[in-house]
Amino acid sequence: MADSGRQKTSQAREVMDSLYEISKILNTGLDMETLATCVRLCENGVNPEALTLVIQELRRESAAIKTSNSQI
Amino acid sequence: MSSRGSGDSGSPALLLRRLCCKITGLTEDAVLPYLQHSLRILGSNFNTSLQADEFQITEKINRKLVRRGREKDAAIFTELHRKLQSQGLLKNRWAVLYLLLSLSDVDVKNEGEKSVGYSSSLFARGLPSYATSTPFNFDQKYPLSSQSGVSQSTTLQSITQSSASSGISSIHGEVRSGDPTPVPQSFLPSTAFTQSSDVGRPLGSRLAGTLSRMETPGNEMSTIPKSNRPGTAKMTIMVRQGENTSFEIPESELLKDLVYAFQGIEGKWIRFDASKDGYRIDSQVGIPKAIRQMVSKLSENGWLYNKIRNYVESRSADKTFGLVGQSFCAALHQELTEYYRLIAVLEAQLQQEQDQGISETSGGLTLRRLVVWTFDPLSRLKTQAALVDVCKGKKGGSLASTIYSYMQHGDPYIRNLIKHILTMVSQPIYATLLRWIYDGELEDVHDEFFVAADPTVKNDRLWHDKYSLRKSMIPSFINMDQARKILKTGKSINYLRQVCQDRTPIKGREAAMNMDMSQAQWMFTQDTSNEFQDMIDQVYKETSRQLLDVLHSKYKFLDHLKAMRRYLLLGQGDFIRHLMDLLEEDLAKPASNLYLHNLTGILETAIRATNAQFDDSDILARLDVRLLEVSPGDTGWDVFSLDYRVDGPIRTVFTPECMIMYLRVFNFLWRAKRMEYILALIWKNQMTNSRFLRAIPELSGILHQCHVLGSKMVHFIQQTQYYISFEVLECSWDELLTKVTEAEDLDHIISAHQTFLDTVIARCLLDEQSRGILTQLRTIFDLIIEFQTAQDDFYQAATKELMARLHYKNLQEKRTTEGDWGLTQEMEEEERHRKIEFLKEIIPSTRAKLAILAQSYQDMVQQFLAMVTSHDDVSLRFLSFRLDFNEHYKASDPKYRSPLTTRVKKLS
Repeated sequence: MADSGRQKTSQAREVMDSLYEISKILNTGLDMETLATCVRLCENGVNPEALTLVIQELRRESAAIKTSNSQI
Repeated sequence: MSSRGSGDSGSPALLLRRLCCKITGLTEDAVLPYLQHSLRILGSNFNTSLQADEFQITEKINRKLVRRGREKDAAIFTELHRKLQSQGLLKNRWAVLYLLLSLSDVDVKNEGEKSVGYSSSLFARGLPSYATSTPFNFDQKYPLSSQSGVSQSTTLQSITQSSASSGISSIHGEVRSGDPTPVPQSFLPSTAFTQSSDVGRPLGSRLAGTLSRMETPGNEMSTIPKSNRPGTAKMTIMVRQGENTSFEIPESELLKDLVYAFQGIEGKWIRFDASKDGYRIDSQVGIPKAIRQMVSKLSENGWLYNKIRNYVESRSADKTFGLVGQSFCAALHQELTEYYRLIAVLEAQLQQEQDQGISETSGGLTLRRLVVWTFDPLSRLKTQAALVDVCKGKKGGSLASTIYSYMQHGDPYIRNLIKHILTMVSQPIYATLLRWIYDGELEDVHDEFFVAADPTVKNDRLWHDKYSLRKSMIPSFINMDQARKILKTGKSINYLRQVCQDRTPIKGREAAMNMDMSQAQWMFTQDTSNEFQDMIDQVYKETSRQLLDVLHSKYKFLDHLKAMRRYLLLGQGDFIRHLMDLLEEDLAKPASNLYLHNLTGILETAIRATNAQFDDSDILARLDVRLLEVSPGDTGWDVFSLDYRVDGPIRTVFTPECMIMYLRVFNFLWRAKRMEYILALIWKNQMTNSRFLRAIPELSGILHQCHVLGSKMVHFIQQTQYYISFEVLECSWDELLTKVTEAEDLDHIISAHQTFLDTVIARCLLDEQSRGILTQLRTIFDLIIEFQTAQDDFYQAATKELMARLHYKNLQEKRTTEGDWGLTQEMEEEERHRKIEFLKEIIPSTRAKLAILAQSYQDMVQQFLAMVTSHDDVSLRFLSFRLDFNEHYKASDPKYRSPLTTRVKKLS
């Protein structure tokens, strides 16, 4: 049981590594943690298109916040 | 999104919150409005717009990488993807990949920026409403209160509207949302959130619609797997240029091959497939179906080109193909040269690209570009190939007709092409036509022109038989009427030259000759211009006028016609009468005892003695005697005939057939005239004898009988003569003269003359239909002759008796003066005996003879009347009324009491 769990963890690790590679290749700008979150969301059946939109929006918002902060 | 992992650390809500925090870098509380909105976006339903097709997405990623020239990365990606596939840990691999793809290089793309700008406005509008809305509750199954939903949905609607106004892909939006836009907007908020079971579905779908309109790269991707279309040209092509993709060959190769195929040459990949009759890419080579189709579509050019070239080559070598066909080939060749030019340009372009290396500049040659560039040439080639197909085996005029049938094409571009080809094709026809109508020369070695000449025909039949219309070669743009005029025009010229020996140039011909050949298109644009018709009409009119002038002035056609009327149709009364006087004796002899030279001499005498002598010597010279074929028992009357020699141009009108008709009419008229002549003799005899024979009172009965019968005959013959000369001859003659003076060309004259002869023949009872009546008439004539002989015999006998009596009386007186007894016994006896003899012998037999004659004459006339009344010709029926004006014949025989009813019966 523990064995299989470990195996699973290592597999997950590998998968995440691969995905991260792809993400890098595609220049998505996601770090490992965000990617993991996104992958989990996707695994939960969230629509990727919507998720894309959310991420884009959030990024823009954060950029806006940053600029406004810097202006102040 | 499901409620499956609620409470768990991995629940979507928590994950999302973490995501928000991570990206924005705000605290959990501060991030709340964003989280709320994110959740709403997620809550919207996108599934309709996407299909979980992992392969498509990996393909796209691959292409994207290749397009940026990162073939290495593409290889790495493929490797990584393979790894992922092998592990199978991820359930929604495609979703993750899709996410990554969508997020990749967002800032690089223009479209991405645009969408960002758009979305920011979405957020900016959306956010203020969140301030008043209830705080977001993560555990809430339906995260939005209906109140906030209303406000939210209204803002979103306004966005939808604003974006819909751009109209970019409103159709997509409609289809996808499944919620037609025309729904009144006031309903939307309530419906959106009362159907709470599926979370804010209308809102979500609306948002999806909005998104799709934003033209984000994601949207572009999303539509592709759905419609399964072969990507945009650029992407496909770019992929093909990457040599690594084993299943595709570079586009430049294909293009090169295509250019070869355009010229009908097989290339490296594109081969001619005999089974499919077209150029196909080698089926072993892996090429996407779409490209395959495009290539085979493009290579249609090559197929068409081959077809046209083969036709042109095979026909150009064929010497018998004729000028029209040659010019068709020339026209096709011209078009092909145009096509070669295109190929040369394409080749140059390809070469240039090759020299510069494969560039991604927009000016490069691509398959798509090729499709566009070859669109016009393709349609041209298609039209030509169609022409080649229909023109197979045709030549000359029919070829032109066939091409002309394509002139009604609706596409002006094609129509111009056809017009151009047709102009070239009809050029030789037009040239031949001009030569023909202006010079009468027929230069038609290959039998292409629609006028055909028969070289075996001699000059005397030139007008009738030499030239004919070749129906199959009449181009359809020349109608039958024009063709006939053209035929006549050329024929007239030839006739003038060869038969009339007239070499004077026809007026206006020089001007016309200057018309250049380029007017060929007049022929087939007649619906818009009259020039061709006018030209034909004018030339026709002038030529015909010239011909008629020559005929009338030089050959005195009208004089000859009048001579025919005067001599052959007995118009010259004094001459005919005198001729008959002179001939009477000779003609009474048997036909075999007649000698032509004697008769000719008599004819000369008759001419010199009458008004005929003032006629033109040329005409008189032509007048001649002719003896018809002699059959046993014929007298001179039966075989004698006048003749009129015709030669030269007038022979065209007075053909031998016409002359035979004239002779038949003459024969009939001659007979009728003779009856008149005989009856005049009979009457003269009666008048002279009636006084002498008054001395013999026993004869008065017979004399009366003779007089009655004679008058009957006179009446009959007079009416018949009247009918012949006025009803038949004069009427027809008048018509003929009017027609001849009005005639426009020789054909009109010929036909008028023919009609004249036909009418005369028919009305003179000489045609088949009236054969019965004619024999009846002949019998009547024979009876008249019989009566003449009978009466002559009687008069002879009576005169002899009279003489004998006179002699007896004289003798008596002489003896008395001599002082002798006036009469001796035996003389008295002899006288008495002779008287009794005479009264016994002559009177009863003559009486009987005359009675029989009268009876048979009565019968014959009655039959004749019955036949005439049932005749179709109205003038003949009128003759019957005149003959029986007092109903003498009708009253005397109950059988013919009602001619009208018999006629009706016969007709019915």
